[in-house]
Amino acid sequence: MRPIIKVEKLGKRYYLGPRETVPPTLREAIKNSFGTKVKLISRRNGDRHPSVWALKDVSFEIRPGEVVGIIGSNGAGKSTLLRILARITRPTEGKADLFGHAGSLLGVGTGFHPDLTGRENIYLNGAILGMNRSEITRKFDEIVAFAQVEKFLDTPAKRYSSGMYLRLGFAIAAHLEPDILLLDEVLTIADASFQKKCLERVKIASEGGMTILFVSHNLSSVRQVCCRVFHFDSGGIQGEGKPEAVITNYLKQVSAEPTY
Amino acid sequence: MNHPANNVISTIFESSSARSALEFPKHARQLPAEPVTRIQPPRFWERIDFADLWAQREVLYFLMWRDLKVRYKQTILGALWVVLQPVLITAIFTIFLGKLMRVPSDGIPYPVFAYASLLLWTFVSNAILSSSYSLVANAQIITRVYFSRLLIPAATIGVRIVDLVIASFVLIALMLYYHVPLSWSMLMFPVFVVQIAALTFALGVLGASLNVRYRDVGTILPILLQAWMFLSPVVYSSSILPQRSRFLYSLNPLAGIIDGFRASLFDLPFQWLSIIIAAVVTLPLLILSILIFRRMESTFADEV
Repeated sequence: MRPIIKVEKLGKRYYLGPRETVPPTLREAIKNSFGTKVKLISRRNGDRHPSVWALKDVSFEIRPGEVVGIIGSNGAGKSTLLRILARITRPTEGKADLFGHAGSLLGVGTGFHPDLTGRENIYLNGAILGMNRSEITRKFDEIVAFAQVEKFLDTPAKRYSSGMYLRLGFAIAAHLEPDILLLDEVLTIADASFQKKCLERVKIASEGGMTILFVSHNLSSVRQVCCRVFHFDSGGIQGEGKPEAVITNYLKQVSAEPTY
Repeated sequence: MNHPANNVISTIFESSSARSALEFPKHARQLPAEPVTRIQPPRFWERIDFADLWAQREVLYFLMWRDLKVRYKQTILGALWVVLQPVLITAIFTIFLGKLMRVPSDGIPYPVFAYASLLLWTFVSNAILSSSYSLVANAQIITRVYFSRLLIPAATIGVRIVDLVIASFVLIALMLYYHVPLSWSMLMFPVFVVQIAALTFALGVLGASLNVRYRDVGTILPILLQAWMFLSPVVYSSSILPQRSRFLYSLNPLAGIIDGFRASLFDLPFQWLSIIIAAVVTLPLLILSILIFRRMESTFADEV
């Protein structure tokens, strides 16, 4: 079967120079650089600024309907990969072809406005995530029921509890119907029962043929929903295969690292 | 691969008849031969994808809708501010320039003379300012979800166009009150509105892309705008200028547009030279600004 995502030699370099502001993924990278893995590369030919490759020489293919988990320590390049595939940022080198429409959830409640009501925010957020108005109207009741915010629909979002905010944000994203869904570590702050509900949703979507890329530190949820796992380290793919094997390897490697 | 999801997929692709019962029917279709999206390193000049922009028009609508909804929440007078802002500014200039200093206004009552141009100026100034801050203000969205970034400044300018339309009702009222006669030249006024929108869009988009990297832009902008207002015939008539400095003065595209706008409303003679200069300056500026925006767009998420 032809791949739906084809990534070839993808790389992303961030400059550490004074002119560039520091992107969040880089902050992660710097934090980790004390004692570990960030390679600082200073090149002679005109590159006066020290730079760091958040992602280097990454190639892989994903078939339609696969749920692929991406694990690895902070600063390994997981989020950078997702940000590139979601077209938030551009790669420095390489190429990625997507043979389907991609939707991404890199943060919950993106574009929620605190002064707007829950109802208004559903429309705003839905539109920003790529739904059109009639689609949102059609799924509106389902979204509200999934988020369990029926009573607060006409309350401004600034009065929502953080749980309600998160549930509403995820509920909207859960009703997207892209061919490819990119999920970045969004569920870690949800309570157990809502996490379970979301993972079920992910499963249903994948059974329907949606391709899902799933970055997570929650290894048990990776084990539950993924059919393949990539282990990222220092901007490259360190291991790849069945969830059980890759996770075991990853844990082995983590425990082998020196602690300070 | 014996994961359950894979089994389901293979059944899906083998027998499409079973598909209808499932919840996400559209995924059963064949993959396209060409990639839907090709992600590559940025090129020096990126082309402008109009089809893509058109496909995302609802995002533009919802961004405008959000700003209009939110703007006057927690204000007492609400949307009345749209009208009050140019009205109050006009009142101030009418008292100081019109009454006290008797600035000539081409024989037109000063309040309606000044309101017509201050209406345009308020639009230019507000639109350029809010557009320049727009990308930084929407940093959270830019770093988390993709859509054409051009829609963000476009939406803020769109909101100001709505303001402009609302505030023009006061202009109509003033023109009726001061018995400004109807004339054929009034048919020309849409030309100047389109021109000023294009000029504002060009500068707003330029300001937005520069402000992402150089925040100095946001700081210097109010001062530059203040200077620009006095360099343009907003609160005075350009007829007070000596003939020899006319050409230099009309190199400012706003001069031609505002003069033209007022000439069309009050049936004054058109200054064709300055009107043509305005058009000749605006169009390349618009194209250049969008190209610069497209060029810088690829790094917005990393720099904002």
